Amino acid sequence: MALKSSVFIRRADREDLETIVSWMEDPAFQRFLYGDPARSPKQIREQIVGMLGRSAARTLPGGIYFMADSTKYGPVGLFSVVNMSWRNRSCNIDSYICEDRRNGMFSTVAFYRVLEYCFHVLNMNRINIYIYGFNTRSWRIFELTGAKQELVLREHVARDGELYEMYGYGLIRPEWDKFREFFLKRFKGIDLQTMIADLKSEEAAKVST
Amino acid sequence: MISGKYTIIRSAEPDDAYAMWRLYDPSRPRSFLLGPSREVMIPTQDEMREMLARRDVIQGSFFAIEDRAGEVLGCCVLRGAKAESDFAEVVVALTDESSYDSPVADEVYEFLKKLGFVDKKLNKLVAHCLCNETGYRAFLVRHGFTSDGIQREMVYTKGRYFDLESLSLFNNARTGGGNGSAVAAP
Repeated sequence: MALKSSVFIRRADREDLETIVSWMEDPAFQRFLYGDPARSPKQIREQIVGMLGRSAARTLPGGIYFMADSTKYGPVGLFSVVNMSWRNRSCNIDSYICEDRRNGMFSTVAFYRVLEYCFHVLNMNRINIYIYGFNTRSWRIFELTGAKQELVLREHVARDGELYEMYGYGLIRPEWDKFREFFLKRFKGIDLQTMIADLKSEEAAKVST
Repeated sequence: MISGKYTIIRSAEPDDAYAMWRLYDPSRPRSFLLGPSREVMIPTQDEMREMLARRDVIQGSFFAIEDRAGEVLGCCVLRGAKAESDFAEVVVALTDESSYDSPVADEVYEFLKKLGFVDKKLNKLVAHCLCNETGYRAFLVRHGFTSDGIQREMVYTKGRYFDLESLSLFNNARTGGGNGSAVAAP
């Protein structure tokens, strides 16, 4: 099946601040992503400002932040590639998709492309994903990509006065290669190269009109 | 300072830098050597001294373990105690691997257990061990820790990947046990 999606990923920028701050109003944003009860909304905002800061280009950044954007709908989500270890060739991925776009292929396409970036551009060997037990939608996406549930941390995360499980998923290179081969056959056009080619042709079409 | 039958456990000090630095033996990968990104860290003695001088880091959480003759055998740590999540990580780092199967290690464990469950009223203690730390893992399991799972190929050192296992021990004196149990009042 050929996949035509308007979703693309790009570096999160200072101009995205307003969009991300508006997502902070969504209870799921704080509950699933930045829900440490010890941190105030002001501290979360400061963290976001920090990660969108225009720091000088460094060869080995500690974290990379992507916006999942759509030519049709505008920004739809945020992906953070953090805790990067160049020695272990591993990193963690955190993700958020805005409420209106959680159904459908948006998150799957964007997540696939972030994974492809991690494995093929950053040359990672392992991706770590930590999810709270109550975030059932996210497990499905991660399991779909071949990530294995490795950790079940009982009574580990506090939300609204209760303790919940946290799951640790791991996706290692050989599993990713297998999954990618299968996925590319099934959804031709989901890869980063096609995304870049589509963006270029759209840009060229705009210029010519 | 806690004076036991086999050990003296006291707050670590900058003068312990050399004894602590000896624990960072790169030929023997150990979970407590891992830094924030799960990378094996080999600090210099000066860095160890600086770290041990940081009161905010070590006060009440980083302890030197001495035998009754005053020789430093290693260290033990209770780190990351978060009131809202109700757990902390324990580390027992002994120079000699065979010491994990001795009354010395048992005494250290009893000290950490009391500190975590009685003094700090935590719900859970967590610990980590690399796949080659068989003695340390056996010590944790003997004291009731159960496995939460193994993260594959988590740490790269000495030319190969090592798996990292997470273990936990719950405070039996507290109610709960399962998903969604109430957080105890602080």
